[in-house]
Amino acid sequence: MTALLCLSRSAAITAGVILGFVALAELGVIVYLVLRKRVAAGSVAVLRTKRLRKGDRIPFRYRLRYKREGLITGIEYKKWYFKLLYAVILLILFAAVLTAVIPVLWLFLAGFKDAQDVFKAPFTFWPESIDLRKVVEVWKVVGFGKYFLNTLILVLGSIVCAVFFNGLLAYAVSILKPKGHKIVYGLIMASYMIPAVASLVPLYANINKLGLKGYATFIPLCLLYGANSYYFMMFKNYFDTIPQSLIESARIDGAGNMRVFFSVVLPLSRPIVGVVSIFAMTAAWADFLLPYLLLQDQNLYTVMVVIYNLRSTMASMADFGIDKYLIAVAITILPQIALFAIFQRQIMGTGATSGIKG
Amino acid sequence: MNKYKAAIADLPKIPTTFGQKFKRFIKRNWGGWAIMLPSLVLFAFFIWVPLIENISYSFFEIKRFERQSFVGFENYSRVFQDPAFGKAVLNTFLYAFWSIVIGFLLPLFLGLLLSETVHFKGFFRLGMYIPNIISGIAVVLMWSNILSGSSGSMINGFLSLFGAGPVTVLSNSKWVIPVIVLVMTWRGAGGTVLIYLSALQTVDSTLYEVAKLDGAGVFSRIKNVTLPSIRPTIRLLFLLQIISVFQVFYEPMVMTAGGPDNASISLMYLCYKYTFIDRDPGAGAAVGVMLALIIGALSILYFALSRRTKQ
Repeated sequence: MTALLCLSRSAAITAGVILGFVALAELGVIVYLVLRKRVAAGSVAVLRTKRLRKGDRIPFRYRLRYKREGLITGIEYKKWYFKLLYAVILLILFAAVLTAVIPVLWLFLAGFKDAQDVFKAPFTFWPESIDLRKVVEVWKVVGFGKYFLNTLILVLGSIVCAVFFNGLLAYAVSILKPKGHKIVYGLIMASYMIPAVASLVPLYANINKLGLKGYATFIPLCLLYGANSYYFMMFKNYFDTIPQSLIESARIDGAGNMRVFFSVVLPLSRPIVGVVSIFAMTAAWADFLLPYLLLQDQNLYTVMVVIYNLRSTMASMADFGIDKYLIAVAITILPQIALFAIFQRQIMGTGATSGIKG
Repeated sequence: MNKYKAAIADLPKIPTTFGQKFKRFIKRNWGGWAIMLPSLVLFAFFIWVPLIENISYSFFEIKRFERQSFVGFENYSRVFQDPAFGKAVLNTFLYAFWSIVIGFLLPLFLGLLLSETVHFKGFFRLGMYIPNIISGIAVVLMWSNILSGSSGSMINGFLSLFGAGPVTVLSNSKWVIPVIVLVMTWRGAGGTVLIYLSALQTVDSTLYEVAKLDGAGVFSRIKNVTLPSIRPTIRLLFLLQIISVFQVFYEPMVMTAGGPDNASISLMYLCYKYTFIDRDPGAGAAVGVMLALIIGALSILYFALSRRTKQ
């Protein structure tokens, strides 16, 4: 712990104090849960008499006692060793969250150290001072403005392609069902899992043969998101739940195929359009390999390509040490965290993230 | 009566001849196909054609990404003779082993714990999910600095708490694969935990009650109620884990360049290395074909399992 708590300046101390408080509070809760005696019966009377329903918010301190679902229930938690077990569970989960968060925190803090201090021998977690001017400086030196603009173009194009092409295909397969739609569906499912990178050589060759220059190079990168089996499946599963009667009635009113799609199907499937847009947005933002291979002109680089290349070019840049590099990486992560903060419910709600995937 | 006759006359005629049937067929289906066409072109260009062409590329000599002359299995034999390929196949098994030990069991364990807590649940979910939102390339760039061999890096600072000496895990051929799997797990575990959590919430609580009445302890309840109830999810995620192991790419590319001495090289990275570093796209295509075959076989298994799950 000594290494972690090598605090020196005020900013670091305040942060340390906050962390200390969190740790203390955590410890307090655990000790309380383990050692607490029976609560005075009167205060629990309300809970006793009222039938608890699912979704009822139980006050913090009674939650364990009135746990009625799951592996271990409140009756068992009366015993001290079950309380101890619960404390251990909480501790493990706190440790897991710390493991998840601390590396990111380190990245955000380490950049504020001096270049020679980042890897200096006794490891310290906190920088001596947090000077936000350094972030501005890195932004200017790397020229992030241009690259963020490029990435934004790529992201917007990808969202449009992902919704438009996959949506239309799913609409045809799920609702219009022309003869042969099952073959199309089978073909898509057959190539569902196989990653595009496995056929990297012809893919790269074919896109290169198009001979695109300048911002036109972004077109295939965006269109790539229009051919995504995963998004297609999400659309199709959703469209399958739209009642046929709605579509029939629109037909009787004289709407054509495209009219039905844009005025009936799309408005009805706003949630899934949102989810696919968010997925396409985060995926396009994080996309690396194909942009890296296809974007030759430095003016067209996306943010991810820039930070990867920066690793080798920073040696030749004057006064650009590891500290500034770490800040550059942190800058590319910030928008992702911001996007997540905004769309947290949609991203986590679907639970459709597919385990570990590079 | 006349009214009805007029109405009957207005009804479309039932097609009888082949020509009429064909006309009706076109009329009924062209709209759907016209809508599918643009998307189908994209699917063909980005997925289906490259997948097929990849096979043909692997049998040709390739210069400047153009097929020159048919060479049969020469690309394959060149790949098979390369010691790096044998190493990559062996490494795939090592990656699979470690990702089962670490990447598969850990989220299951955490999901089980998380479904049992009634305090700070939202905080835990959010906290564990955070690494998931960072792009793959930024994650590996970050971790290659955290794991750097210098004695002041975070990993060595952490180890020094326990009095362990400075380590250089990324250039140690014994440790490099487990460490890469740890980094992958660090990034992916949060999402997997959420999937387990939603599966665990569907487990019927009365089953636990019954088990308790039978005198089953906590571990016996986990073994006999919880795990059997979520077995379909476990099976699917297990297979997904194996499939993703074959796609290990950014980690060896950025953190180790496949090294030390090919100790962390993966099939996907080998494909990339042949194509873009060694300038031998024929060999790259050959590795790509093998990868596609393996992943294809695994995904057939996946769909067979997921179909059974739905029933």
